[in-house]
Amino acid sequence: MRKRDASEARPSFFHTSVFILALLVLLAALALSVLGAVTFGNADLSVKDVYSVILYEVFRFDSLSAYKEGPVRDVVWLIRLPRVLLALGVGMGLSVCGVVMQAIVRNPLADPYILGVSSGATLGATLSIMLGVGSFLGGNSVGLMAFIGAMITSFAVMYIANMGGRATSGKLILAGTAVSSVCSAFSNFVLYITNDNSATAQVTFWTMGSLSGADWARVKVILPVILLCGLFFWSQFRNLNLMLLGDEVSVTLGADLHRVRSLYLLLSALMVGFSVYCAGMIGFVGLIIPHVIRILFGTDHRRLVPLAALLGAVFLIWCDVACRVILKNAELPIGILVSIIGAPCFIYLLARRSYGFGGGR
Amino acid sequence: MEIQAENLHVSFSAKEILKGVSLAAGRKEFVGIIGPNGSGKSTLLKCIYRVLKPGKGAVYLDGQELQAMSVKSSAKKMAVVSQHNYYNFDFSVREVVLMGRSPHKKTLERDNAEDFRIVEEALKTVKMEEFADRSFSTLSGGEQQRVILARALAQQTPALILDEPTNHLDITYQLKLLKLVKSLQVTVISALHDLNMAAAFCDKIYVMKEGGIAASGTPKEVLTSGLIREIYQVDAEIVLDSRGNMHILFV
Repeated sequence: MRKRDASEARPSFFHTSVFILALLVLLAALALSVLGAVTFGNADLSVKDVYSVILYEVFRFDSLSAYKEGPVRDVVWLIRLPRVLLALGVGMGLSVCGVVMQAIVRNPLADPYILGVSSGATLGATLSIMLGVGSFLGGNSVGLMAFIGAMITSFAVMYIANMGGRATSGKLILAGTAVSSVCSAFSNFVLYITNDNSATAQVTFWTMGSLSGADWARVKVILPVILLCGLFFWSQFRNLNLMLLGDEVSVTLGADLHRVRSLYLLLSALMVGFSVYCAGMIGFVGLIIPHVIRILFGTDHRRLVPLAALLGAVFLIWCDVACRVILKNAELPIGILVSIIGAPCFIYLLARRSYGFGGGR
Repeated sequence: MEIQAENLHVSFSAKEILKGVSLAAGRKEFVGIIGPNGSGKSTLLKCIYRVLKPGKGAVYLDGQELQAMSVKSSAKKMAVVSQHNYYNFDFSVREVVLMGRSPHKKTLERDNAEDFRIVEEALKTVKMEEFADRSFSTLSGGEQQRVILARALAQQTPALILDEPTNHLDITYQLKLLKLVKSLQVTVISALHDLNMAAAFCDKIYVMKEGGIAASGTPKEVLTSGLIREIYQVDAEIVLDSRGNMHILFV
């Protein structure tokens, strides 16, 4: 019998009690992050004012009725809190979708945008910004067009991958790449022929993502969608685990994954579509958060899904805070910041732990 | 459990891989399938464990047609140890074996103490209990094969399908694995390369050649020097030792 080597042994983080502890710690961190993040911003408000507004709005204490209206209340209740909650929803949604996509295509390099969603959304946004397509859709027509673009490309990719036999992970990735190329080509074509520099800059800016458009209407749509889909995917942990073993092995273990795969693709497209609608493209979160949790807690989806959801939410909340405070009187696009903060943390984890992305170490 | 395959046909585009193969495995019988590379052994097994749907013909488990059963109920009846088990992600050994319990679980049901006990027992049976917390991908090919066998054991099925289970195993574990499988008292259908192993463990042997069954019967009936020459184009001598066991010597 081979002697067990300490460096090869799994960390003892493995047991259920540790998972529950991690879950509780992350939940607490999420609650504290929401409460902490609302105190940051360009407007110089005292912590007491901020919490007084929130306490009044939630509980309607008469003693705090001084905060019923006025600029302080507007900044906290109409700008900051929705924004923090939107960051929570988008971070959670992208992380869960990252986990699901990596399982569906059985590839550790997958992210929520892998199936052409990013290029489709960009094409939608480009058409809206450059040509005013969809302006009749009102307020957030750019977001709405991006949502439509994301959904159309997702369906197209699923349809193409299912042509001539069942969709496999390889076919899905290739179909995603092909559809992506077509969409990028059209986006670039539109940018090229309109030749409008300021609008081009606007498109570029949109692709970097931002949570500045947050309001309660969006939060009320995205949070329930993300939470419900997230809980659903958590309940599917067994199928997600089996997906990583491949369709053939799954059949022998009692799961026909073909049908559920389409459902999962549909729901992740919906989640990503909503986050694109609200915040544009925010890369990297959906790629690294699942890996960070895997490095610490392993691949089992019953732990991976909830922990990734919580960590993603906390991560994006603080990234958004940083975006708001780093530059005086201006905002850094969150996509830039996520990569600047996230990539070094990720590289550190990679170097510190032996983690076999592709199986072998 | 009884397994029957009747008149299975499989073609990939124009090439016919199985040309009407029938096979029957009785209760607690150890059935071996031998034959040269490309004779259709794996394809036949894949039809039986329903990864491939035969173009014509059907497979019956205890008289019930396989395609009419749910995937979950067929996975409760037979477990599979196959050749390819390469995973792109790191699961621990225990997690891999625990997946053998999934056909017995409802969607939201959690794994309970009983499941963990079954998993530990399966790992002990294949002597991998010390590896339970190791990452599956760091194991050697032979160790991985034993873990996959443990997963099949955790499925607790009345039938086992083995697709060249002794690949990657050294001679010690080849023998151990087959002895273990034999001792389980379940129906076994196994593709085997080693004719001596087939002679030693099988109750019944099917010989495949070019997508059809060339011969079938007990090892003594089937494994003759004439048949071995016909199938494998090698000369062999069959020897009985003092205990009456068959040995095949290649001359």
